[in-house]
This record gives sequence, structure tokens and C-alpha cells, in this order.
Amino acid sequence: MAHMGVESERIHLSWVSSAESTKFVRVAKEVTEAVRALGPNRRFVKSQGPDRSLNDEKAA
Amino acid sequence: MIDYIDKIKQISKQILTDCRVDMVIGFRQGTVPMMNEPCFAKTVDDVDAFVWDSHCGINLANYLTGRKEKIGIIAKGCDTRNIVTHIIENKIDRDRLYIIGVPCRGMVDRRKVNALCDSIYEVTEQGDTVKVTGENLDRQLARADLLQENCTTCVHPNPVIYDELVADEVEVHTDVDRWADVKKIEAMGSDEKWSYFDDLLKECIRCYACRNACPLCYCPTCFVDESKPQWMGKGQDETDVRTFHFLRAYHCAGRCTDCGACARACPVGIDMRVFTRKLEKDCFDLYGWEAGLTLDVRPPLDTYQADDPEEFIK
Amino acid sequence: MSEWKPKIVAFLCNWCSYGAADLAGVSRMEYPPHIRVIRIPCTGRMDPKFALAALREGADGVWVSG
Repeated sequence: MAHMGVESERIHLSWVSSAESTKFVRVAKEVTEAVRALGPNRRFVKSQGPDRSLNDEKAA
Repeated sequence: MIDYIDKIKQISKQILTDCRVDMVIGFRQGTVPMMNEPCFAKTVDDVDAFVWDSHCGINLANYLTGRKEKIGIIAKGCDTRNIVTHIIENKIDRDRLYIIGVPCRGMVDRRKVNALCDSIYEVTEQGDTVKVTGENLDRQLARADLLQENCTTCVHPNPVIYDELVADEVEVHTDVDRWADVKKIEAMGSDEKWSYFDDLLKECIRCYACRNACPLCYCPTCFVDESKPQWMGKGQDETDVRTFHFLRAYHCAGRCTDCGACARACPVGIDMRVFTRKLEKDCFDLYGWEAGLTLDVRPPLDTYQADDPEEFIK
Repeated sequence: MSEWKPKIVAFLCNWCSYGAADLAGVSRMEYPPHIRVIRIPCTGRMDPKFALAALREGADGVWVSG
């Protein structure tokens, strides 16, 4: 997907065993921070109106 | 290339006469220049319609899916690789096939010829030159300059599996950078890539000619046609177009032989190989895998090896 | 406008990460609230189209965990 221009930091893959709750929490934080750093996704989103960014602001 | 035809006809007639096969799949002259069409010869007389020249780019492996008859097939290097993939995926039995291997010198890209003038009347070839006759046009061109993009970097022009070869194997390119086109895109930034693909897919009309021409696309129901759930819209929304091309490429990962059938079939001239090429390169870099070269090894995406790369996993 | 909160769709394997998430909850550990979990029977159930569907519907990130 990165090849097509979707930022690679939006997609994450990890292996966490059911006993590794601490690892789960750590990865959850990492993923959230990585996505937060990128900002809102504007790519591959099926547009729902003439200007999606307006919808976002209203929702926020 | 054109000198192969006598041998092709001779073998085809022989195997039909001997009842080795029920039919032979080859090419016959199309109704317009440079558009040879598939031909299913069921009798010895049908074989006389066969032609072989630089316009036989359609991948005939596409017509083998799920067939139960005994079939003779005329196959270029890429076609044989797709036949291998079909056998591995249980879409055809090796025993039912009689493969007439054709060492290939590359196929002519009709778009490059069509760009020369508005209407082309006739295209003939002699050795390494192609003679194009059209409206106010009568030119001799070098075959090498007119080849399809995928043929210029092809490293498997010779059949990998065959029962009989029609000629001696051709020389393989060794001096080409196979992945130059992919590297160019890999070097781009994220935004640049996004707009590159935006431009590329702008013309797409969702006719699915690429899907239909592709020997790998044999799913009974394609994901674009599924309605429960409906994964994507049917229209020309740019997100839908992108989803289609992207997922189709994904389905070809580790299977695509870069035969160029998709790009060749596209009515608006999109080179959708840029999607499959990246996956092809990844398979090559990560697993050293090239699709359809052997019947003995399972593809990397349906086996597990302890040393499979996993750096991308947290 | 308040601070932007990312929407992340997490596809978690029932037997691995979903269990880990459950354990994290039972152990009252804190983790970011931006994750929407979808439980899948196994990571093998994952399909590229799920990831795309998430993005298409407006997710900001996708996390697949086995």
C-alpha cells in the first residue's frame, strides 16, 4: 500500500500472544502515536460529500 | 518469429491426427491489423487458419481454466509460466496438455504502431523489421523499437515447460535492469506516489478488460461483483477505481508472470502493470520467487519457512 | 476545534491479541482509547480488502495483530 502512496505508518502488523497484555498496551500506544503523527487520513477514503474536511470539522 | 508457423501447423496437425488432443489453441488473423485472436482448432483443417507473428500477445493460458478436454496449446515463455501456475493451482491437469513451446522474441505493442498514423492498413514483418502501411504512410521500422514494455525486460522468453519446441531457444537478455520501472516509483515520496497513481487511473472506465484478459483472474465471482457485502462501489469514483486495481494486483501477488495481457487489453491505455510489478519485485527480493518456473516448489505465499522475512512485524 | 482524535481499526486474532486485550482490561491497564477492535477468528481470516474497507470508511489507521 505504501507503494501506492498510502503512508506506511497507517498500517501496522504485530504478533501478540494472549499472555502479553503489556506488549499489547505498548503496541497500542505505538500505533496510536504513529497514526496521530500522520494526521487524518485523506487517502483511500470514499468521499461522502463535496468536501469531507468540512464534515470532519462539524463532527469535531 | 513468422518462420515458426510451418512447424506450429505441422505439430498441431500431427497431434490432432493422432488424437493426442481434442483441440489446439492458437492464433488466427484478427479483423484489424495487429489484433490476432485466439483460435480453437478442432480439426486438421482448422489448423490452416493459424498464424504466428509479433501480434500474438494474448495469453492463451487464460483459456485453459477448468477445461476437461485434452488440449494442445501454443505457448510463449510467459504463457508456459502461467500454465505452470494453473497446474499448481489445480486449474488444469498436466496430463491433459500438449504444450507446443514457442521461444519468443517479444511482441509488438500496437499502441506504438498506432501512434504513427490515424489508420493502419497493414503490418507485416520480415526478420527484425516491421513494415507498416497506413494512410500516407509506408515505413520500415525496427522490431526492437516497437516491443511491449514487458517484453523489453523479459528474462524468460523461452518456454519453461513444453512437450515440443518449434525452434531453438532464443537468447535471453542479461544486460537489462528488470526493475527500473518499479525503482522509479519506489524512489518517490508518499504524496508523489499518490498523485502518480491518480494520474494513471484517471482514464479508467472500469470495463474489467484487464481482469478478463488475465489468466490469473479466474474467480467464479470477482470481489468487485460481490454484493453481500459489497466491498466497493460500481461507479467511477476514484476510490473505487483505486480499490479495484489495488486489490486485483494483490490477488496476483506471487502469481503474476508479467505477460502484459492486462495492459494490452486496456482500451484506454493504462499500464496497470505498475501495480503487479511492485509485488513481483517484492516476491523476488523477499523470497527469491518468480512465478511459474517450476512445478515442484509451492509458491511462497502458501507455505511457511522458518526463515521467512518478518522485519515488518512488531 | 478540539484536539483531533485518530480512529484506528484493530483486527485482533481471537486467540492471541484479543486475549491480550482482554487480559489488559482485566488487569486494568491503560491504553489509548482510539482503537476500535474487530475480533477475527484468526489472523488468517484477514484480507487486504478488510484493511481497505476500513480506510474507505474513514479510518485513520489499521492495525492487524495475531
